[in-house]
Amino acid sequence: MAHGATKEFKVTWGMVIDLDKCTGCGACMTACQVENNIAPMVDASNKMRTLSWMLVFELSNKKSGAEAEVAYLPRPCMQCGNPACVPVCPVIATEKNEEGGIVSQVYPRCIGCRYCMAACPYHARYFNWEDPIFPKGMEKALSPSTSARPRGVVEKCNFCHTRFMQAKDKARQDGGNPEGLADGAYMPACAEICPTGAISFGDVKNKEHKVFDLAQGKDAFRLLEKLGLNPQVYYVSKREWVRKLGDNYAATGKPGAAKKHS
Amino acid sequence: MGLDRRGFVKIVVGGVAGTLFTPVIWQSLDDVSIWSQNWPWIPRLNKGEVKAKAALSKLCPAGCAVKVKTVGGLPFAVVGNTANPMSKGGVCPVCAAGAQLMYSPARVKSPLKKVGEGKFEAIKWEDAEALLVEKLTALKGQNGKIAAINGDETGSAGEVISGLLAGLGNSGYYMMPGEKFVAEKGVKLMGGSGQPGFDIAGADLVLMIGADALDSWGTTVANQKAFAATRPTGAAATAKFVYAGPVLNHSAAVSDKFLPVPPQATAAFALGLANLLINAGAVSSASDFAEYKALAAKYTVEEVEKATGLKAESMKALVDLIKAAKSPVVIAGASFGQGAGALDFVAGASLNVLLGRVGSGMTLLPAAPKAVAGATSSDKDAASFLAEVATGKAAPGALIVYEANPAYALPQADDMAKTLGNIAFKVSFSTYMDETAALCDLILPAPHPYERFDDALNPYGVAKPTYLAGKPVVKKPVQDCKDPVDVLLGAASKLGLSLGFDTYADVIQAKAKALGADFDALAAGGIWTGEAKGGSLNLGASALAKVAVAKTDDKTLAVAPVSNQANGSATLATPPANLLTVRETELSGKDLIVQMNAATAKKAGVAEGNKVKLSAGKGELKARVHLNEGVAPGTVAVLLGFGRSAWDEFTKGKGDNVYKILTVSDEAGTGLKVWAGSTVTVAKV
Repeated sequence: MAHGATKEFKVTWGMVIDLDKCTGCGACMTACQVENNIAPMVDASNKMRTLSWMLVFELSNKKSGAEAEVAYLPRPCMQCGNPACVPVCPVIATEKNEEGGIVSQVYPRCIGCRYCMAACPYHARYFNWEDPIFPKGMEKALSPSTSARPRGVVEKCNFCHTRFMQAKDKARQDGGNPEGLADGAYMPACAEICPTGAISFGDVKNKEHKVFDLAQGKDAFRLLEKLGLNPQVYYVSKREWVRKLGDNYAATGKPGAAKKHS
Repeated sequence: MGLDRRGFVKIVVGGVAGTLFTPVIWQSLDDVSIWSQNWPWIPRLNKGEVKAKAALSKLCPAGCAVKVKTVGGLPFAVVGNTANPMSKGGVCPVCAAGAQLMYSPARVKSPLKKVGEGKFEAIKWEDAEALLVEKLTALKGQNGKIAAINGDETGSAGEVISGLLAGLGNSGYYMMPGEKFVAEKGVKLMGGSGQPGFDIAGADLVLMIGADALDSWGTTVANQKAFAATRPTGAAATAKFVYAGPVLNHSAAVSDKFLPVPPQATAAFALGLANLLINAGAVSSASDFAEYKALAAKYTVEEVEKATGLKAESMKALVDLIKAAKSPVVIAGASFGQGAGALDFVAGASLNVLLGRVGSGMTLLPAAPKAVAGATSSDKDAASFLAEVATGKAAPGALIVYEANPAYALPQADDMAKTLGNIAFKVSFSTYMDETAALCDLILPAPHPYERFDDALNPYGVAKPTYLAGKPVVKKPVQDCKDPVDVLLGAASKLGLSLGFDTYADVIQAKAKALGADFDALAAGGIWTGEAKGGSLNLGASALAKVAVAKTDDKTLAVAPVSNQANGSATLATPPANLLTVRETELSGKDLIVQMNAATAKKAGVAEGNKVKLSAGKGELKARVHLNEGVAPGTVAVLLGFGRSAWDEFTKGKGDNVYKILTVSDEAGTGLKVWAGSTVTVAKV
């Protein structure tokens, strides 16, 4: 896809993360690991090898004393409207072609070349260096939602896609419209568990969904907007220094410019 | 008829072209790609009906009311219980990892008897219970010979343990140190009684002094929900939050203001604030107001700046915020949930009295009815008890440890472990092979919270009397374990004592009944709440007169232990599903990373990445330095929960244990042992 060739969908699942409410507790990371069957690593401090589909970054305003501030920034896959990872995949293992706009990752097709990792500016993709070996017995606590991936493939957040399928199935069973799910009918594990409700989720094109207004709020921004990847994950912060770190200065090239996302 | 070259080429090319038009090659490629990833060692998913069952998840100190998701009856995930008014659908990061913890490699798999240094043999339950009864029988009736340490502040198990001890003629029942114990002492010093509570949900300004209320203090998830309710995304906040403490921690990160206050200066900070409020017109009808006013007047902005490093403008801005608030509440506590003195609590709580918020913002909970008639309460914590054992003032022959890890989580941990090791017979009721279990002569495996009945009365911090109870989610425990209370009740019966119950489930049902709660509704994920009692408090002026600010110099730094709930707790090493939450600025391989600001590092002669040794008392801790401007001046922040010597491959030997370098001192006027505000020397290695 060339720049600007954002694929349009009637339904666009998106996340709005309120950075002023995120305490950095890590419950979203844990819920993600549990939902997606990520095996625990003996040395989880080796961040070159860990798999963090959801990763909470710590941001600092670099000031000291009573002026010091930090913010926590949960980073799932941005499910870009115009993803950088999709066109570089030589085996079509990652695509953006399903209603809802979730960027897929088809593990059996992935050949582990990691071009997509190099292309992704959000570092949201992870290479599976090890087979998913769980401590003895812990495989009994595997989630039925996500297959365990072997080593040698790239993996990433898919907005808990199985939950999307289940929500659509439920809508069908209940006689509803699977293509027009109600607000809250489909919720990824991280958004569901967040104890401060910092993560809102829904269809950013549907006025009935809370995220519709939140994504257009005056303090909403997206990461690295100047790259034109059109992420479906929005952030909200009343703190200017946090918004500036989101790199929201495409218009002038100067940090802090008033340019907002389109 | 022969096949010429041209004919051969035609057949081959035609064959290849024909193959490409059939699905065979593509299907085969697809199959190869699937089967090349389909190895027998790749775990398969479990099948079956997915259900969600209500549970009381007492993996975190306060306990979360959750729903455990099961597939084919096997728990695999934990979600919030939206119907429970306390957790309102929230889950803390530890309870979020609860299902995987059932299969933790650190679980004790069967009763174990010590047969040598670090060596255990598996024994049958009958033999284990007989051994316990034999040891207790030998010491029955000799006061001081049997002691118990309880690490569960909220469960009715404590009633059974203390009742059993009393029945055996012993009064040595001790709680692991926590905020509740200290806060109750503080309330007494203010002329009141009972457990204090704090109404965060009803406040429009929450001042946290030390207490990390949005991560590790009190009922964390309920606090977080109360905070979240005041912060609708995309709209104006309806309450202000201010954190004053040694580290820009998780609570401070989302607060409107962070004020760096070294751990030894929190009382001085609170009294300085009181002085400014009184100067701004605050008065109180409390009987000791005049005395309090005179005392607070000593804490001028200059004095506070000297003690905390805070500029006058910061203090005055805070006073303006408090004056503008209609319903402020002040919460004082240690940044890591223990070790603070009662005076630190009183200094913070006195602000609630001064602001006229006792009975609304700060409440007092009435004493709850007991289920076990002979139950007693603990008047001393485990640290004080073990200090007496170390000096020979106490000489127990048998020690019962319930859900506690004193060998790891008490100040000067190595000394504590040594003291524990000298007690002739130690039995640990523990789900996991923790540091204390590893020292014990008998380990009796306790069920995981989703395998047992349990309850939680008044988790510290709740504004109203609160009771939660839960029943097992699974039919059978993963390991060969028995409920510790059932074992103790069985032992009591063999010792000729009747505590009135046969099982823990019976005790909990009786407790619910005594409170007027419906056990079945509680076990289905409900909650019981009562009303806070009335009563007033004085300002604690006479106690506060003894507040002293510990001095630090260029050679010593104050230690601020930091508790991140995701890293586990004293009784739980970092769960396998939480390992990812540990940052690269917290742990690197096996090196713990301690944090201090650049000015402090310069004074201490260390720089980013340096390997350092922190020493205090007989304890030493090795770590690397990371510069963080969110740490108060003269303070080194050390993350709790690392440096495990037992547990599993995920946690054992990773980092170092901050408890090793915490030192105990006696608090003036209260006789309490305190260790918040311990100091250490820092040396580059």
